Amino acid sequence: MNFFFGIKTNTFSSKLNIPKFQNRNITNNNINLYQTFVDNNHWKLELVNKIPDINEFFFVNQNLANNTNIFFLATKNEIINFCKNKLINLNNFTDTDPAFRSNLQIFLKNGGFSSYQSEYPYDMINKQGDILSSVSTLLNKNADNNYLFFKNIYFEPQNKKFKAFFLDIKSRKILDEFELKTNYTNEIKIHKELIKPEVFFLTKNYLGIPMFVSEKKKHLSFEHTHPPHEYILSNDKFMKVSELKREINEIIG
Amino acid sequence: MKSLVKKIALSNLGIKLRNFFNFKPIYMNTNHLYNNCSVSDSFCWRTDNNYETIFKYSDILGLFYKIKKSYVELSFFSKNNQLLKTLVIDELDYSNELIINKKFLNGTEDYGVFYIHHYTDIEIKDPTIISNRCYIGFSKNGCLHSYMHGNSLVRVKDLKGKKEGLSDIVKTSFFNNNVYRIQNFFDDLTSTELFFSNPTYKDIIFYIESDKYTLKKGECLIINTNKKNIINIKSNCFFLRPIIFNYKDQFIDVYHG
Repeated sequence: MNFFFGIKTNTFSSKLNIPKFQNRNITNNNINLYQTFVDNNHWKLELVNKIPDINEFFFVNQNLANNTNIFFLATKNEIINFCKNKLINLNNFTDTDPAFRSNLQIFLKNGGFSSYQSEYPYDMINKQGDILSSVSTLLNKNADNNYLFFKNIYFEPQNKKFKAFFLDIKSRKILDEFELKTNYTNEIKIHKELIKPEVFFLTKNYLGIPMFVSEKKKHLSFEHTHPPHEYILSNDKFMKVSELKREINEIIG
Repeated sequence: MKSLVKKIALSNLGIKLRNFFNFKPIYMNTNHLYNNCSVSDSFCWRTDNNYETIFKYSDILGLFYKIKKSYVELSFFSKNNQLLKTLVIDELDYSNELIINKKFLNGTEDYGVFYIHHYTDIEIKDPTIISNRCYIGFSKNGCLHSYMHGNSLVRVKDLKGKKEGLSDIVKTSFFNNNVYRIQNFFDDLTSTELFFSNPTYKDIIFYIESDKYTLKKGECLIINTNKKNIINIKSNCFFLRPIIFNYKDQFIDVYHG
């Protein structure tokens, strides 16, 4: 099961195209689009497509695609099992290879747009851990503005605070430290001095998807980074990533 | 008994049979890779139509394996699989970038693919298979580069840089019956281009609606798909995902499909 999400700031709006079909061409016309969000320590559920339609996509516009709502697909029979105390896996319609994705597009008013094929796998919402990502690989020193968005979805209906850092792994120094919250699309503006090969972004205890945005003269670039273990195909992948994370965690003590 | 069936199902013959009959097919198989090797995507470069490409890559052997004396080799090919240029870079930072423009490719204004492989002269005892997923940015008419990441596993070389392996990772089928439907709705755009590269060592045939296209080994192709809201690709390749270039007025958006 995959979740889908949006981004909303003073600068950017977003929209989602969520298909009713798998990428190998199987369509489910009985599926509905639901949104849920944290409301007083519960997951509040709402049906998005109140009127049946024949389109092959659910179109989520900028009014709904914000930092708190998350979206998922389910049939009427499956949604009966929805639990307001924790997010549970309702179906396997979006468990495909290649991954089932929606198109997440951010855009500026009277300006450019940029998108990527996006999903938040259910497997990530029950686990805790650290996310490590290079800062310079997707940002642009020559851009007018650079941003990092960090989306976390956690099964508990709460907005828990957790720590994140910018670290220099050569000088082994903490460059910046701040708080993010769970079940939210967190926005971090990146200063140009941080866009260096040795600077990494690290979250403590909570997983998520780091997405990077550059903006210049109304043009945008928007992409997410790979988790480090995708760079290694041999059996030592998790060991090597753990070693690297342990080494980097020593910087924050 | 169960483990024997599993063993047969995952053998080369088993995978061929599964893929032939489309019974639980294996789209990508890395089981046959030798112990110490570097796997590359076929990354797209563009210098046509005022495009410039930026390639960002990590020093994987330095970052994860603490090997200081490693280097990378980049090989640039034309859209017809002609080698244009090879470049060895031996001074690596944790994150590196390379600008690919007309000047870099000796005046070539076109598009094609390139590969990156990591090498080291140091003996590595434990089996080590790495793949640089990398990020590529595309700029048109000097605008901000729009970035996307690599999305396939295509060519293999050993970490000494001496042996090129059979890049038989992405699988093909006998019939052209593999459908890949891009999960986006294409509307409100000026135009859309799809970049396809052949990720296999075999000829690939694919269809977009009724239009037929062929890609020989190492070849790539850009297809303009104006006025199609939904894009279905039918082919004899199990993993043929294009890079999408969307245009609207002066803005571009690039991502893998």
